[in-house]
Amino acid sequence: MRSPWQGKLHLIYHFQGGATQIKYQHNQAPLKVQRPFYPEGPQICHTVALHTAGGIVGGDQLTQRVELQPDSQVLITTAAAQKIYGSQGETAKNRLDLELGRGAYLEWLPQESIVFEGAEYRQELRVNLDPEATFCTWEITRFGRTARGERFLRGNWRSHTEIWQGGKPLWIDRQWLPGSLETVESPHALAGCPIVASFLWLGTPIDPEHLAALRDLWSPSPHSWVGLTQTQNQGLYCRYRGRSTQEVKGGFMRLWHYLRGLSGGSGNSMPSRPLIPRVWGNR
Amino acid sequence: MKLSNYQLLALLQLVSPSLPVGAYSYSEGLESLVEQEIITDAGGLDHWLRRELRYGAIQLEGGVMVRSHSCLLTQDWQGLNHWNQWLSATRETRELRQQSWQMGDSLLKLWTKVQPEGRAMIEQITPPCHYAIAFTLAATLGQIPPESFILGYLHSWATNMINGGVKLIPLGQTQGQQLLFNLSPLLDKITAQLLSSSEDDLETCSWGATLASMYHETQYTRLFRS
Repeated sequence: MRSPWQGKLHLIYHFQGGATQIKYQHNQAPLKVQRPFYPEGPQICHTVALHTAGGIVGGDQLTQRVELQPDSQVLITTAAAQKIYGSQGETAKNRLDLELGRGAYLEWLPQESIVFEGAEYRQELRVNLDPEATFCTWEITRFGRTARGERFLRGNWRSHTEIWQGGKPLWIDRQWLPGSLETVESPHALAGCPIVASFLWLGTPIDPEHLAALRDLWSPSPHSWVGLTQTQNQGLYCRYRGRSTQEVKGGFMRLWHYLRGLSGGSGNSMPSRPLIPRVWGNR
Repeated sequence: MKLSNYQLLALLQLVSPSLPVGAYSYSEGLESLVEQEIITDAGGLDHWLRRELRYGAIQLEGGVMVRSHSCLLTQDWQGLNHWNQWLSATRETRELRQQSWQMGDSLLKLWTKVQPEGRAMIEQITPPCHYAIAFTLAATLGQIPPESFILGYLHSWATNMINGGVKLIPLGQTQGQQLLFNLSPLLDKITAQLLSSSEDDLETCSWGATLASMYHETQYTRLFRS
């Protein structure tokens, strides 16, 4: 096993002359970003983050900080699925701090994680959201290398998300999955499904009639579950538990496309049909 | 710790199913679980309640009750309101948030009449107030120690869920009472854990419960409000 990494990534975006640009960038292996690109025009900057070590091992410490200055618009995704390997005991930590200024808009849409049996992983995502900013994110997690018949019977996975606005907690979701046969099989937890996923939208409020339309966008296949609800401040939260990464990505993309159409009111206008990042391949 | 008769009576009043806060009208997703045939018998309900006690939102409520009790004793009103907002942020569905707010506000309104001397304390809370916080406040006014009122809170929650199960699955009254009685060791164990838990321990593993509540929000025919 290789020795642990202390990866760092710090990005600051600003909006100037009708374009969102990276104003400051610092990174430390194994984290880095590709050169930003603008498939939808200059106002929204697409950025692909990479983890060059192939996967996360116990003891790794990743620290990521992304700041969006007022009116900047950014889509951040990752180049590939993130593997989280089984651990000899040490916990891998991934800390993300996102700061969204007035009128800023961030789509934080990483590709899925694959959590190997025996992994010890702890992710903490903390967002400071200006009352006039909008944040859209998803998280897709596969427990165990299902193709090999592996299940998450040992290990601990944690993903704590906290969104704060004006010094108050707006959304807190502290998820924990302790690996065990009961957790994998219980209808209260995974119900035999290897994949869980969350989609969250906070900022531009969603009216009840849009919520009804969003609910109609996606009906899950048999033995998968999808639910939608409203958060405080009329945000949207969607949860998936099922068997197919393709199904959940497809469903989340439909929600994302629909919500893009509503977000014209916040900050600058942006294309209402987002371009799907090429790194996601053909889905 | 042995409770005085007055402390015991105050606790019995707070955990009574006849406390008029509307608990009986909520099932916390149980109604949709029964409709989807995920819970079909006493064994299924027992498993669900045990998972919920160990890994569900009630863990967060218990942890917040311990902390808000300390805030009440030290008159830390800012801290108390922080924990109330914290619960709002962790409520994963609209229905569960509404339930807790409705029950909490009802209890506070009731308690300003039952114990008018508590009014000054009650007025420190910025509404809406979660039920776990309102219950803690009423228990603190009754000078009930946390190891007793948290145990009582878990018991009243389990009683309400089992009453829901008896109606929905349906189960016999005897089966319901057996379920409740057999939960006692777990209620005791969870209470002890909650009292010594750190803030880092406030986490959940309950995708099924969130999904059940989300399904309930659009369930066509329903007897319960959550």
